[in-house]
Amino acid sequence: MEIRLENFSKSFGPVKVIEDMDLTIGDCEMVALLGPSGCGKTTTLYAVCGIHRVTSGRIWFGDKDVTDLPPQKKNVGVVFQSFALYPHLSVFENIAFPLRIRKDGSAEIERLVKEMAGVLHMEELLDRRPGQLSGGQQQRVALARALVRQPDVLLMDEPLANLDAGLRLEMRSEIRRIQRENGCTSILVTHDQVEAMSMCDRIALMNDGKIQQIGTPDEMYQQPRNRFVAGFIGNPPISFCDGVIQDHRFVTEGLDFDLPDRFEAASITAGQKVTIGVRPEYVRPEFAVPIEGEITFVESQGREVLYDLTLAGGKVFRSIQGGGPKFKIGENVRWGIDIGATFFFDERGNRI
Amino acid sequence: MRGRRSLLPVWFMLPASVAVTVFFVIPVFMTFVFSFTSMSSDTGILGNRYIVTEATIRELTERGVDADLVKRLGSRVFAFDQAGLAAVGKSGLKPPVVKEIEEKLAGAVFGSEKELFAALKSLKNRPRSFRDRKAVSKAVVNTIVNREFRTATGFRAGLASINVEVDDATFDRLLGLVNTSWSWTTKNYVELLASDFTLKILANTMFYVFFTLIFNVGFALVLALATFYMPSGQSKFFRAVWLIPRISPSVIYVMLWKWFTFDSGFMSYFLGTFGVAPENWLNEYPWTFVIFANGFVGASMGMIIFASAVLAIPRDVLHAAEVDGAYPWQQVRRVILPMMAWPILFVTSYQTLSLLTSFEYILLLTDGGPGFFTTETWALNAYHTALSNYYGNLRYGFGATLAVVLVVVGIALSLLYLRLFDFKALVAEPPIES
Ligand SMILES: Nc1ncnc2c1ncn2[C@@H]1O[C@H](COP(=O)(O)OP(=O)(O)OP(=O)(O)O)[C@@H](O)[C@H]1O
Ligand SMILES: [Mg+2]
Repeated sequence: MEIRLENFSKSFGPVKVIEDMDLTIGDCEMVALLGPSGCGKTTTLYAVCGIHRVTSGRIWFGDKDVTDLPPQKKNVGVVFQSFALYPHLSVFENIAFPLRIRKDGSAEIERLVKEMAGVLHMEELLDRRPGQLSGGQQQRVALARALVRQPDVLLMDEPLANLDAGLRLEMRSEIRRIQRENGCTSILVTHDQVEAMSMCDRIALMNDGKIQQIGTPDEMYQQPRNRFVAGFIGNPPISFCDGVIQDHRFVTEGLDFDLPDRFEAASITAGQKVTIGVRPEYVRPEFAVPIEGEITFVESQGREVLYDLTLAGGKVFRSIQGGGPKFKIGENVRWGIDIGATFFFDERGNRI
Repeated sequence: MRGRRSLLPVWFMLPASVAVTVFFVIPVFMTFVFSFTSMSSDTGILGNRYIVTEATIRELTERGVDADLVKRLGSRVFAFDQAGLAAVGKSGLKPPVVKEIEEKLAGAVFGSEKELFAALKSLKNRPRSFRDRKAVSKAVVNTIVNREFRTATGFRAGLASINVEVDDATFDRLLGLVNTSWSWTTKNYVELLASDFTLKILANTMFYVFFTLIFNVGFALVLALATFYMPSGQSKFFRAVWLIPRISPSVIYVMLWKWFTFDSGFMSYFLGTFGVAPENWLNEYPWTFVIFANGFVGASMGMIIFASAVLAIPRDVLHAAEVDGAYPWQQVRRVILPMMAWPILFVTSYQTLSLLTSFEYILLLTDGGPGFFTTETWALNAYHTALSNYYGNLRYGFGATLAVVLVVVGIALSLLYLRLFDFKALVAEPPIES
């Protein structure tokens, strides 16, 4: 079932949290809502499942307008950021809750709950109360409760935040498998871009209540629409550097190079302030446009080494290189950047 | 350091301990003690007391005391002994009169007032007016009627002053017959068990507590939940409205109920527009209004506690219930009420105890009536028996017995409720990692 948000806005009193959001999630697709804290991810989920009424705009499930439909009338599974387990019920009853409300037979409930508990490795926890579980265990109960009813739409608000690294990896693929098997359209809210990239078909990157870009992880990485996207996606992060255009050249203190050929058109004018963004893998000795400076930071990440290169004017470029730590702090080096892979942003942050 | 630290709780507990002792332990203990006495407003609460009244004198004859002796017990003797003369000196008569009495009548004894007056008239400086003669009579009279003696010796001296001498056996018998002081007794408990009224007030109390409690707690829950699902402005307004009975003075609150229910009051007027004949509804349905009046007052406390308990339920848990398909009624039944088990139990037990012991609204509304013991509850009956009743005889001892039963029931119920609360089970165990 396709989910479509049209001009969706949400305010809490005078506070505008989401403004005119458009988002379409295809049938059986899993989309990550990625963004910094407070950008409105949870608010968007609550509007989709109907907990909050939208201030304006429409929400469609397939060709059905569900804008004013209460959550009880939608078959939506939600994993809440706070788990929101029922503290007075055992784990079994927590998972069974939506089925009991739906008035399933008790044999059927028993079967479905046991099955779900098996998938999420919690058979031995079924008799406990939520208060007797660790954070990760609670999160799995919340997940089980959302999945057990085989929802049409699955909404997950940071469902893996409390799991350890191993369990997280396992759960990522497990969630994805269940989602594919059930064929439910899903939104996954997360802070974690690796999780977003590895689990989802597409990512919707949000900031300040607006969607900055929607696309596959690759598109986002290779073709960011604006400075925020470029800065948010990618780890270690991209390096930005402000400068001005002079004589078809990018000029700043300590760095000066000819603009690439694609700027022949009038899209860029002399005197314009421009920011460039260079990903760390495009700052290396072998690239053509030279940058000179001092190494001010070295961090070995095992296979690769991270360097900060500080130019004469104080601008910092980050570089990531394979093959062990070859350079030391304080060393003066002359490396290069790959102009073909460098992003240019105008003053408003849009890519040019 | 350690010593100081371990003393700190003691200091913190001190005011509470003193208060509990002064306002609870001691009164309860004294009540228990009084319940084994026959104290009443007739006996007083002080020790031995020997009084011969007109009534006693009639009674003595009935009990077979020698008629002649009885007659003499009631007699008056006018003696100008030392005490008598001293009293005459202070009676405010003119000095010449006093002086002549001292000279002429010292040592004289008269068996009746008539003889005394005759003797006075024979004096030169005689008291002229009847009032003056009466003053002399009053100064020298000896009688034991209506005089209170605190000891047996005092009573014997009293007998001597009216020239009554009896042998020891008769004296002891007399002493027993005129002793009106309280005594130690278990009769109160026997009476309580045997009395027909006991069952009546017991039934009344159970009826009253049970139905008021249901009304109280149920209505408080309804209010709390209804206001929870309202927009916040409205819910605040409704909660404030339901607080009014609690904060209005009880006398005025009850007067409004009376005005509401009496035969030309609001209810009669209102029902009159539907053709119902006016009636004193309070007289007609006393229990209904006793329960309503108490219930509305009590509901406000439960409402406040329940309303805050509902608000304390994490919003996301209710959102989760919504998403899981539960409509408000199912949310209430499956999530909210189970999560409020503790406050509900708390309010129920607190209200049981306070309903058992409080009686001011019944007192003001029906005073146990209409008629005989219709709405008389245990606590109200204890109050009536011991402190205020139509007959004027306040039976402290029996009232204390009633109160002791109340205390015992209260403590038993408290212990029961504490068990039900089962604090250990309520405190969540720490999370266990597996
Ligand atoms: N009930 C509310 N009243 C007023 N403001 C609210 C309310 N709920 C959320 N907000 C505001 O809306 C904004 C978005 O909140 P939201 O919970 O959607 O953030 P989020 O993206 O989920 O953040 P996080 O990653 O920290 O969970 C925040 O600035 C928050 O303060
Ligand atoms: Mg959130």
